[in-house]
Amino acid sequence: MNDNPKRLIQLTVNGEIQTVPVESHWTLSKVLRNDCGHTGTKEACDEGACGACTVLIDGLAVPACMILAVEQEGKDIETIEGLSVDGKLHPIQEAWLEEYGSQCGFCSPGMIMTTKYLLSKNPNPTDDEIKEAIGGNLCICSNYEHIINAVRSAAQKMSKEQTHV
Amino acid sequence: MKRFNHFNATTMEEAVNLLNESEGPAYVIAGGSDLMGCLKDNLWMEAPERVINLKTIPGLKEINVKDDGLHIGAMVTLTEVAESDAVKEQWPGLAEAARRTASPLLRNMGTVAGNICQENRCWYYRYPDKIGGRIDCVRKGGKRCLAVPGDHRLHSIFGQVKKCIAVNPSDTAPAFVALNATIKTTKRDIPIDEFFSAEMGAQSTILDRNEIVTEIVVPTPKAGPTSAFNKIAYRKSIDFALVNCAASITIEDGKVTAARICLNGVHNNPRRCETSEQMLVGKQLTEAVAKEAGELAVAEAKPLLQNIYKVQMAKTIVSDTLLDCIK
Repeated sequence: MNDNPKRLIQLTVNGEIQTVPVESHWTLSKVLRNDCGHTGTKEACDEGACGACTVLIDGLAVPACMILAVEQEGKDIETIEGLSVDGKLHPIQEAWLEEYGSQCGFCSPGMIMTTKYLLSKNPNPTDDEIKEAIGGNLCICSNYEHIINAVRSAAQKMSKEQTHV
Repeated sequence: MKRFNHFNATTMEEAVNLLNESEGPAYVIAGGSDLMGCLKDNLWMEAPERVINLKTIPGLKEINVKDDGLHIGAMVTLTEVAESDAVKEQWPGLAEAARRTASPLLRNMGTVAGNICQENRCWYYRYPDKIGGRIDCVRKGGKRCLAVPGDHRLHSIFGQVKKCIAVNPSDTAPAFVALNATIKTTKRDIPIDEFFSAEMGAQSTILDRNEIVTEIVVPTPKAGPTSAFNKIAYRKSIDFALVNCAASITIEDGKVTAARICLNGVHNNPRRCETSEQMLVGKQLTEAVAKEAGELAVAEAKPLLQNIYKVQMAKTIVSDTLLDCIK
C-alpha cells in the first residue's frame, strides 16, 4: 500500500472542473459532499436502496453512494446544485414548490434528479410511468401523492417552455 | 470500507493478470452495485488488496443480434437490456426480467453479467459487521445455519445445500436458464445449467477467482418469442423476489414440443422444473395443463415452518408464467 494513498482526480461537476484528492475507496457521494462542497446530494441508506444520493452521470440517474469516485474522471456529473441558473429555479424545482413536493425535504434532491432523468427520456409520462420511475427513491414522509403531482406539473411546465422557445 | 489499490484494466487479459498477480484478495468491479454493498458490510471478512475496474475495457458494452442469437457484453446494464427493442421482440422473458430487477437507478449502473453472479441476501449471512459483530454462519465457515432454527421466511423451500438454506436472489438468472443461455468467460464457455453452484462455499457460481464473464449468448427461439417472466416480491420496486419464474416454450402445430421452466428465490441455485417440462411435451397448453405443471413443480418441495406460503406462490407463478408465454 502506498504511503500517500490519495490521488488527484478531475471531476466535472455541473460543468465545472474540480481537482480533488481522493482515496480509491471513497464513494462519489462522500467526495461530492466533503470535497466538492455539494452537500445537496444526501446520504441516507448508503446501500443504493433509498435514492437520496441520486446524481446524473452522463445523463443517467444513479445512486452516488454505490459509485467509486476514482472511476468518474472525464464523466459529466450533474447534482441538484446545477439545476438553477443565476438564481432562477429549474421548472422541476418550481413545480416542487407549487405542489408541495417536499415535506422534510431530505428525499427531494434525489427525487428531483430522478425526475429530470425521467423527463429527459419521456417528456410526457403517465402516472404509472412516474410511479415506476421514482420506484428507487424513498420518501420517509410518504409524500408520494404530492411528488407525483409535482412530476406531472413539471412535465407540463417543461413541455410548455419548449413550445415557447 | 477499507483502503485498496484501484486499477483500470484496458483489456480482459490485463484484468486477469492483475487478478493473478495480486498478493491479497482481489475483486473486479463492473457496475459495482453488488460488490460495493459486500465491501461496505465487510461480508467476506477480508479487505481487498486491489479492485480492478472493467468499465475501461472497450467493446464489452454492446448488445448484438447475430445468427446464433443474442450476444450481451459483460458491461451491458440492466436498463439497456430492458429497453432494447431487439430483446423485447425476440426474448420478452429476458427483457421483463431485466425490467423487474432492483430499482431504475440501480438498473442504470448494474450489469446483467453482474446480476447473475451476485451474492445471496440471507440476512444472517449478510448481518453487518458493524452492528454487534458478525454472525458466523455455515457459509462463512461456521458450524451451523442460523436460519433453520431462526427466521427463515425468505429461505429455501427445496432443502439445503451444504447445510445452507439461502436462496439465489437474481431475477435475470431464471430468464437465462429458461432461454438456455451460454456464459462465456475468459477461460471457457459454460452452459447456464452448470453455471450456478451453491456448493462452492461463499459464492454462487462455479467461476474461479481469476475468471471473468465476458459475454452471455442467448440462442434465438426457434418458434417465435414465446418466453415470459413473473416475479412476486413485497414491493414492486427495489425488492428482491420472494419467488420468481421464467419460462420458454416451443409450440408447433398447437402442441408444446419443448419447454424450459425455471424458478428462483426458492432454492440455493435457480431451480429448473424438469418434471413439469417433461409433462408439457406433446400437450396443448391449456389452463388445466398449466395448473398441473405448477403442481408438479412444487411436488418435491420441503418447506420449513415459516416459508410454507412460498410453495403456493411457486405453484401459481409457474402456471401463470406458462400462460403468459402464449399471451
